[in-house]
Amino acid sequence: MQEKAEIRSKYWLALFLVAAYTVPFGIGIYTDNVFFDLQWLADLTTVILNGIMQGGVYAMFAVGLTLIFGVMRIINVAHGELVMLGAYLTWMFFFYVGIDPLLALFLTLPIAFVIGVLIQKLLLNAVVGGPELTPLLITFGLGLTIIHIVEAIFTTDYRTIPYAPDALQISESINIGRSKIISFVMASFISISVFFFLKIHRIGKAIRATAQNADVAMVCGINIFHIYMITSGLAAALAVAGGALVSIQFGFNPETGVLYTLQAFAIIVLGGRGHYIGALIGGVMLAVIESLISFMIPNGTAMVEIASYGMMVFVLLIRPRGLMGPKEN
Amino acid sequence: MADAEIALDIQNLKKYFGGIKAVDGCTFQVPKGQISGLIGPNGSGKTTTFNLLTGVLAADSGEVLYNGENIVGLRPYEIFNRGISRTFQITRIYREMTVFENMLSASSMKVPLREARARAEQLMEFVTLTKLRGEYGGNLSYGQQKLLEFARALMTDPDLILLDEPAAGVNRTLLNNLLDHIHHLQEEQGKTVLIVEHDMNVIMNHCEKVFVLDYGVKIAEGLPEDIQTNEEVIEAYFGHK
Repeated sequence: MQEKAEIRSKYWLALFLVAAYTVPFGIGIYTDNVFFDLQWLADLTTVILNGIMQGGVYAMFAVGLTLIFGVMRIINVAHGELVMLGAYLTWMFFFYVGIDPLLALFLTLPIAFVIGVLIQKLLLNAVVGGPELTPLLITFGLGLTIIHIVEAIFTTDYRTIPYAPDALQISESINIGRSKIISFVMASFISISVFFFLKIHRIGKAIRATAQNADVAMVCGINIFHIYMITSGLAAALAVAGGALVSIQFGFNPETGVLYTLQAFAIIVLGGRGHYIGALIGGVMLAVIESLISFMIPNGTAMVEIASYGMMVFVLLIRPRGLMGPKEN
Repeated sequence: MADAEIALDIQNLKKYFGGIKAVDGCTFQVPKGQISGLIGPNGSGKTTTFNLLTGVLAADSGEVLYNGENIVGLRPYEIFNRGISRTFQITRIYREMTVFENMLSASSMKVPLREARARAEQLMEFVTLTKLRGEYGGNLSYGQQKLLEFARALMTDPDLILLDEPAAGVNRTLLNNLLDHIHHLQEEQGKTVLIVEHDMNVIMNHCEKVFVLDYGVKIAEGLPEDIQTNEEVIEAYFGHK
């Protein structure tokens, strides 16, 4: 019985995703935004490529969120604020010290790691393993605190980092922003490195062991509180790296972090909570559908968010595990 | 028996869950370098005792002396790192990690990786799991999972091994295999083994000393043959005549 329901939910999810990807085309045809010529196809390709590039970056910081959830069962709603903080850190190094945003990663990532460790040590270690609401509320308060501190220092003005603004000509009619490509390559590199760290390195193995069963990890000699701190540090570093990579593409202000939190949630729900590869796939899928919507649906940019959060709700209803998440007990 | 060295000195150990006295002032001494058994009817506090000894549960009161040190209140990994290792009644391996990864996960970070790998290989050989080294834990049969858990518990070369129902759900051949391993550990390497078990064959034929719990209290201890005829033990298992 259970297995049947399991397979059925998989099919429903697949069906839902196909429908979700078809809808923008349908509306596009209905509203005469779809043309069947080469130029339109080139535009569509550009849009999809852009979506994939975007998705790579989203996926990277979503992975941070999924790591924390997977290892500690903590829902960290301050994750997007760390992304925002990453953008500001990069911005500061760029404007005050004159460091290239990518080279600045060598400074911002260690800083982020320390911030993550401190958050874990001072705030989360005390409540991990307890009722889920407490850490949720703590990170909620933490997120707001970060927003207001950043606001007090930098005001609510939008900031931008002018970095590689030119576009790369791929073919005659397909071109992609250089900063997007750089971000994607960087994000892929970081995501893949972290993946192999988790897969191969002993600490990575200990992190996975803790995620699978913290009680067993403990009786097998793993100091799970160390693991929690490393996980938090890693997640914060991924968020801050995400912040650095979005900061060279988009403007940001202290409030933008909230959007990234929500985005990351939509991604990890789609990919499967706690699943690493799932988050990567979910990130790219979500970004692609978003770009399809803004490309083909009139006034699409406003619809984008409806789509991603609508998708999150539907995935939770149809198949709470998402694409690859572990079975709920 | 009285002059045997003591591996684990359990003094007046207590653990209540609300009104339920799971372990209620339990006192016994596990002799060093021997295989001992811990038996008792369902709900007599055997597994809870194991959980207290390994720090999985925090004791309400009492002492557990291991090498002269009270280990009550230590975290599970601290106890593990002092040389006490265990398996679970229902196997708890990492289902989404390979056999080899399961093994490595129990090695201390302080041990060089090369040594840890060599140790894992050696133990997989010992429990005949070498062929399955790349298989995911979740794909193993229940018996194989038991072997894996047993081998994993030996990764750090512990001095004291606590086995929670090693015979449950394991076929005879595999069980004999497992018991051979246990004897090997005790005879060749001088390890102390404490077994919780419902299978009386295992207890009677393989343990040198048996402790009987009932309602969280030790009601008897002694040689297997003495325990079999002990009035109190029979009463605990079968009730009043």
